[in-house]
Amino acid sequence: MGTMTWTRMRRAVAARGFAPATWIPAASEGRAEEATIQPARLLEDLPLSGRAVGPAEPWPGVVAFLDGVQRYEVMAYADSTPLVVAEIGAAVLERRERRLRLALAERRRLVIARPQVLARLEGTTEGHETIALPDEGPVHPVRDFQLARRAVDQARGRLEVEVGRRYRNRSDAWLIVDGPLTESPQWACDPRMLGVSKSHATLPFGGEELDHYLRLAPGHRSPVFEPAGHAVTPVYSWGLRLWPWEGRDVLHGLVRIEAAPTLETLAQADQLSRWLLAERAPVSTPDPRWDRLLYGIHAVEQYLRASAER
Amino acid sequence: MSPAAPPIGRVVATELKPSTPHQFHFWTARESPIGIGAIVRVEAPGRTVLGIVTDGFAYSDLVTPIHDVIGADGDPASALEAPTERAEIRLYTAAVLRQLPEEPLQPVPLGAVHLATDEDVVTALRMDAFTQSAEPTGIPCGVYAAGGLEAPVYLDADFLLGPEAAHLNITGVSGLATKTSAVEFLLASIFQTFPAQKGTVAALCFNVKGPDLLFLDQPGALTEEDRRLYARLGLRAEPFRNVRYYAPYKPDGVNLNTLRTHEALAATTVPLVWGLREVQDYTEDLHNRDDVDAKAGAFIDFLAERVVGREFRDVTLADAPLTVRSFADLEDFFRRIFDFMESQGRSSEVWRNHHLATIRKVRNRLGNISVRAKGLVTDDGVASDLPWGTFADRSVHVIDVAGLDPLVQDLVFARVVSKLREHLERRDLGVDHVVVFVDELNKYAPNDGPDTYVRRMLLDLSERGRYLGLVLFSAQQFRSQVMRRVVGNAGTTVFGRMDLDELALPGYATLSPATKAKLAALPKGELMIRHPHFTQPLFVRFPRPAVLPGRVGVERFPPAVDLPFAQAVVRQLRALDPEIPPSRVEQAIHGRREEDVRRALHTTRRVRPENVLAFFTSQLGRRVEREAVPPRSVPALKRSDDPYG
Repeated sequence: MGTMTWTRMRRAVAARGFAPATWIPAASEGRAEEATIQPARLLEDLPLSGRAVGPAEPWPGVVAFLDGVQRYEVMAYADSTPLVVAEIGAAVLERRERRLRLALAERRRLVIARPQVLARLEGTTEGHETIALPDEGPVHPVRDFQLARRAVDQARGRLEVEVGRRYRNRSDAWLIVDGPLTESPQWACDPRMLGVSKSHATLPFGGEELDHYLRLAPGHRSPVFEPAGHAVTPVYSWGLRLWPWEGRDVLHGLVRIEAAPTLETLAQADQLSRWLLAERAPVSTPDPRWDRLLYGIHAVEQYLRASAER
Repeated sequence: MSPAAPPIGRVVATELKPSTPHQFHFWTARESPIGIGAIVRVEAPGRTVLGIVTDGFAYSDLVTPIHDVIGADGDPASALEAPTERAEIRLYTAAVLRQLPEEPLQPVPLGAVHLATDEDVVTALRMDAFTQSAEPTGIPCGVYAAGGLEAPVYLDADFLLGPEAAHLNITGVSGLATKTSAVEFLLASIFQTFPAQKGTVAALCFNVKGPDLLFLDQPGALTEEDRRLYARLGLRAEPFRNVRYYAPYKPDGVNLNTLRTHEALAATTVPLVWGLREVQDYTEDLHNRDDVDAKAGAFIDFLAERVVGREFRDVTLADAPLTVRSFADLEDFFRRIFDFMESQGRSSEVWRNHHLATIRKVRNRLGNISVRAKGLVTDDGVASDLPWGTFADRSVHVIDVAGLDPLVQDLVFARVVSKLREHLERRDLGVDHVVVFVDELNKYAPNDGPDTYVRRMLLDLSERGRYLGLVLFSAQQFRSQVMRRVVGNAGTTVFGRMDLDELALPGYATLSPATKAKLAALPKGELMIRHPHFTQPLFVRFPRPAVLPGRVGVERFPPAVDLPFAQAVVRQLRALDPEIPPSRVEQAIHGRREEDVRRALHTTRRVRPENVLAFFTSQLGRRVEREAVPPRSVPALKRSDDPYG
């Protein structure tokens, strides 16, 4: 028997006395982040209002884009305990001669619940990995769901790291990752990887410095800094304004770049920024994050979503 | 290509674009060789579907154009420099040609799409039914070429030349649609591949403009590609072997009214000359109601039944029986009637129940034919006609009517097609099937305009000809301007490059926009074919016909200049016997009446005697020397003694 579809699984668990549910949480594919300021250490003697990086330049040679997606839902309840199913995927699209082609893709299906619930599912979870939630404390469906969501996030992150590692084993092309490089120590020290963070929940500066940072002009970058709190996976980082923000939002078009913590990164920050500026086109509409979402990353997401099993 | 070749696409079906039993959609890679008109095969468990691509779409993930403008900072040059090409889709719509199994007929399933193989093309176009049977009836009409595949396409003789269906109509703009070339190629293909069990076949072509069809017996220049296509279709690249040309004389009665008058081609160019007997049955049909009313019609019937070609006795006209065999005899007949009526004075205006005015009207109308058709219609009654009853298998007969008055063209059409029908009905034409090719059909069978005899005749031919083996191949620029029933009866319809305005008419509504666009830009040598076995129109390529194009033929064989009467007679006699000294001919005809010379010449051409000059001279008859009459002296009335003289 192959992978059990969720429809069949839903029938199977209902047959075992579970109460069916079809709750698909809103924004189930987003990552929960806590808004915070973690002051960074500046590595360049530049004003925080940044400097122009110069005109955009096309990226030379082959470039690859890595991203992952996830979706999950509460499939059923065993009494009050939720049974969560999830699908995660990660892929690398490689760009050669301006065209993106699939280089690597990996998918997993997960079943997440408390151990005693998982025990009752025996024989119904072919093709799925099971993740047991902590069994401490009384059953609380909302808390259990939050724990399940965190487990999915972590599994997706691990899968991205795994796919990134496999790609790196076969290619030394530049690899651009959606999000921070701090997910993995290997990524953090890879001299040919860049992380492009769209999220600014964690800001590197406060006060007047933050005002300057958030008001970077288009085509300008901030000084390179070392984000705080990454002792295991130190990286160098800088802010880059891709699109004008005036009249919109201070975060519009602002991305934070992460790269290996090396002198070479310091020396290349302008060049890398010019290459990234060229990635503004084509714009990744209709995604609402088009001002910060590189088209290559958008294409990976599109691929993963379009090819997801139903 | 082997059946195991990888798929080139996949069927997609959405709520907005669902698959149906007659249509489906599939996507392909951008580099796919698929194009409009390509045949594809859908493989799904338990079902194979063959379809032909009728439309194509490409779009990217761009939602609105403004996003592209934003991405390029408003500079089109920057748009070209975007480091990544947008994702782009190639989506095609295909019309179902055939489903296997054919029952139950179901919507096309989701499945892999493959380029068609040779065998697929045969199956898709249902050619297996007539090319792989015990008695195959396939006639090559071109090659289907798409995606690196080149497969011969066959028409079913039973549906092209009857009896199941028949007739072929071809439409396309002048000069680019290669209509004449297509018909010439197809005729050659028919002549080479028409199955023996179906009997014999000949072709009769009306050359209606310029030198179009005047060199079918001369080899034309072919490219290597043309020869390769001939070989692919299993045909020999050669001109027609047995062609005869017919052209009336010019009004002078000795120079032929055709562009095929080069000395080297004279042997196969035959004068077309008809006498009163040949045209009398068609005179009424050539005039409309204003010309010939019921009374005039009755008198024409009287002439046909009682007078022409018979001994007519009427003491009021002559003591001896009258014999009317020629227009000259007929004119004499009329003159006798008028003399008789005049002798009767004003008291009588009726002769044998026919009013004098009616008789005069008929005389005028018939006389008008002999005047307007001078060169075709002879006064002396000696005819030179097509070989009725002895049409040879695979022979081509070209009648050049290009230089004729429209009324005379109508006369030629009317008589020739009527004679074909008569002989085919009696099964004594010499062949079982005749293909009649008429170009400029919109002129002879227009959608609007008067209901002429020629139009009725073409309609009758298109509706009933197939039972007789009389097949109409017709061509025109604008199908919409041709009588619908005539083109509608064509079992096989061919389209060359089309005019966009014509394609915008409702008659082409069944064609997809992409098919119309392809038709409007179709290169020379490509055609779209509809045939009863093909459930959808198909694009094919065909090689140039292996005959000399008219334009080139006229350059290579320039028409002989019109000669003075005596020299024209010499040329015609020397065409029969090149050894004849011109001086002998000139000497023989010196001082003769031109009508006597013409009569002798026509008889000589018709008989083709061994000793041409002797026969010709004998036909001129005894020379009647002019007698010099001395002036008579008349005595003067005046006398010398006249005192007033």
